[in-house]
Amino acid sequence: MAIMSKKLLDKTLRSYILFSILVLAISSPFFYFFTDKLFIADADETLVNHQKEFLTNNLPSLKEKDIALWNKINRDIKIEKPVSPIQKDSLFYRFYYDTLEDENEPYRVLVAPVSIEDKPYMFLARINLIESEDLVVNIGVLFCVTLVVLLIGLYFITRHLSTKLWQPFYLTLQQMENFELDKRVLPDPVTTHVEEFERLNLSIHRLLERNLSAYKNQQEFIENAAHELQTPLAVFRAKLDILVQQMPFTHELGETLSDLNEAASRLTRVNKNLLLLSRIENSHYIREEVSVRASVLKQAEFLREQAGEKKLTVQLNPVEPLTILSNLALLEIAIGNLLLNALQHNMPGGQIQITLQGKKLTVANSGIPSPLATDKLFLRFSNSSDGGSGLGLAIVKKISELQGWTLSYNYHAERHIFQIEFIPNHDAVHSNP
Amino acid sequence: MKLLIIEDEQSLTESIVDYLQREGYRCEVAAKLGEAIEKIMLHEYDCILLDITLPDGSGLKVLEYIQGKGKTDGIIIISAKDSLDDRISGLRLGADDYLVKPFHLSELSARIGALIRRKVFHGSNKIVFHELSIDVPSQTVKLNDNSLVLTRKEYDLLLFLVSNKGRVISKTAIAEHLSGDMADMLDNYGFVYAHMKNLKRKLTEGGCPDYIKTIYGFGYQWRS
Repeated sequence: MAIMSKKLLDKTLRSYILFSILVLAISSPFFYFFTDKLFIADADETLVNHQKEFLTNNLPSLKEKDIALWNKINRDIKIEKPVSPIQKDSLFYRFYYDTLEDENEPYRVLVAPVSIEDKPYMFLARINLIESEDLVVNIGVLFCVTLVVLLIGLYFITRHLSTKLWQPFYLTLQQMENFELDKRVLPDPVTTHVEEFERLNLSIHRLLERNLSAYKNQQEFIENAAHELQTPLAVFRAKLDILVQQMPFTHELGETLSDLNEAASRLTRVNKNLLLLSRIENSHYIREEVSVRASVLKQAEFLREQAGEKKLTVQLNPVEPLTILSNLALLEIAIGNLLLNALQHNMPGGQIQITLQGKKLTVANSGIPSPLATDKLFLRFSNSSDGGSGLGLAIVKKISELQGWTLSYNYHAERHIFQIEFIPNHDAVHSNP
Repeated sequence: MKLLIIEDEQSLTESIVDYLQREGYRCEVAAKLGEAIEKIMLHEYDCILLDITLPDGSGLKVLEYIQGKGKTDGIIIISAKDSLDDRISGLRLGADDYLVKPFHLSELSARIGALIRRKVFHGSNKIVFHELSIDVPSQTVKLNDNSLVLTRKEYDLLLFLVSNKGRVISKTAIAEHLSGDMADMLDNYGFVYAHMKNLKRKLTEGGCPDYIKTIYGFGYQWRS
């Protein structure tokens, strides 16, 4: 998948973050604009007030000779000789050099015509403005802090809500993840007081129930079908055994009867394995301490005999002692099937290597010189073309699943390698030093 | 030797009777539980073949009945069910052997032979065929009073052939007999030829006529 799936919480948070950033980004220029406007308006009002104050309090008593002193005392209200005659009051911006700060500072300036002792003078009042870049920086900082506080708040609130609100959902999710059809245990439905979750849980519960019952039906069907086939098969084989007693028969008839017999044998094998497979799934097996080593050695002996016929060599690499808690019958079936698989899919003059080391049983065999398709390897009837029942590895897989062993396959150095990792019974090892 | 076959599948019963009568057994048949118990009550049998699933009840009731009466009839269960539970409860209730359907009649015959030798001759028995004598308890073979050393598999093979003397036995039946449980999974008759060849050689070297006839394409027959 190109797009990684995200958690519900992350998705909500992402939307929140995007929205918050958008709102703050759009609002900040407006905020700047209005703050600026407000500030200018305030400055203008102050300037006009200064002018009024000057006109009413100072102007009437001001003499021409006092102007120099006035200008010396007052920093922001000056009286100057106009360069050109001015007619009316005007407000504008101007930069003045500030010696203290060593930079040009923005000012709002009010210029008005006044007459002192009937001479035209210019009244100039100014007020220092905030530098606009200072304003921008300040607003930016303010907004960023707001954003961070907002997001932290949102994160914790969302997380709290999502864990609390969605808790039943996550519980259900966990149940579904842990659900295994062949364990046949229906999980208890999670009780919530949220309508949507109730509905979800109810439908999931119904779905699982239906699945389970379909699965049970299928298992029963396989078992019943295989059982029902046993009797006609028995009749077929018995009649065949009687038929061949009608000696003498021709070579051709002998061949035909032999083919029939082998077909009946194969049918019997498939049927028995089907029964075994469904029985493994349906029964409870008593667990006891069993020796994997003993089982391997016993079956390897049988394998050697068969292998000699196919000109195969069987190598027992170290077969170390290993005791596990399992069922002897199941263990023997699993090991037997693994060994027979190595025998059946081998080539003349090939090898079979059996290793039992630590908790791992490894069976490596020569065979077709390319790896097998692992996705179908352990499925029923995935490889029944060459005389086997097509169920051997499926049975090994099923037993491994039930016993908690890890079954794996790989192809390395022209060997097909099957491996079972057992769960060693440490207690047994300690009690029998 | 008198046998009782308790089996509801009539065509299977017919084949079993046909095969066993040629071996010289006298066979009686019961298709239902009630009928079977009635017969067991009235007669003594050397061996009873018992199907577990009968139309009017479980064959295990026959076992309970026999056990309750203290009878010692040899019993072989023939069942379509190959479940460990059934096997265990059957054997616990006094059955001597358990054979899962479908089986070869030659296998059934060999099992009946073994059971009767054990029960009737109390194990102190010998199978004699002309110059050949097989001592079953000690698993030794003598040919003209000289011991014949055989491997385990060769011995099993010889006993199986002799137990079915005059019968044509398929190689599949021999393969399954020799490999036991593992045969279920196996599709390999090569080892039958190998063991047969070795057995034939040992018998001929010991001065025994070639009783083992090869039935081309099908199997073997032991006959003089």
